[in-house]
Amino acid sequence: MAFGVTTEQTNGIAKISLSGELDASSAADFRTAVEQVATEKPRRLVLMMDKLTFMASAGLRILVFAKQKMGREVDIFIVGAHDAVLETIEMTGFHHSVILLDDYDAAQIES
Amino acid sequence: MESLTLPATLESLKAIREYVGLASSTAGLSKDRSYGLALAVDEIATNIITHGYQEAGLAGDIVMQADISDGTVEITIKDNGMAFNPLTHIEPDDLETPLDERSVGGLGIFLAQKNVDELRYGYVDGQNINIFVIRPK
Repeated sequence: MAFGVTTEQTNGIAKISLSGELDASSAADFRTAVEQVATEKPRRLVLMMDKLTFMASAGLRILVFAKQKMGREVDIFIVGAHDAVLETIEMTGFHHSVILLDDYDAAQIES
Repeated sequence: MESLTLPATLESLKAIREYVGLASSTAGLSKDRSYGLALAVDEIATNIITHGYQEAGLAGDIVMQADISDGTVEITIKDNGMAFNPLTHIEPDDLETPLDERSVGGLGIFLAQKNVDELRYGYVDGQNINIFVIRPK
């Protein structure tokens, strides 16, 4: 499945929805989306990954870019990541720096 | 399986994963192992394309070959880019470091090594040869 990325922003919450396969050929589109939402200085970044079927390290590099671009006080939520993608996130220690959720939890994310 | 020759560009990554996926399903690998193999091959292929060819100002092909016997899957990638041995690559030592302080090099090779049973490398007659092995559990 081709990679897809959409963005939306409401009340300081930036949401980026990813779908399909995120590899080195599609990571630039993800990076562009991060740059775009960063200009609004959101207080939270939510990455919807429930439709993401593949993520290579090129995707992890954009997570690092997002954290460095937005600052450490901006929490990054990863919602609905598939088991295989989660395993990559955990294997590389990225789970220490993001908040992993099974479903979009408005109470936690928007508080 | 028949070999597959692709141009060494990032647009070939999808076809590379599909070829690996076909080998995995032919061999009856589990979903997990199949994903891990595709990830490992994708990461090394990405390195070959970006560092071995593009950054070196070279153009060329990648040749894929899958061999399946007794439930063992071997994927071989051959390329004529710059010589690069992923096995001499040092494992990142900052996996516990917060993302805002992290360097991002080496994650791909780390993931490749972790997701297959064996990764072999050779450089023969000006060709890089990377071999990925998944054995039956």
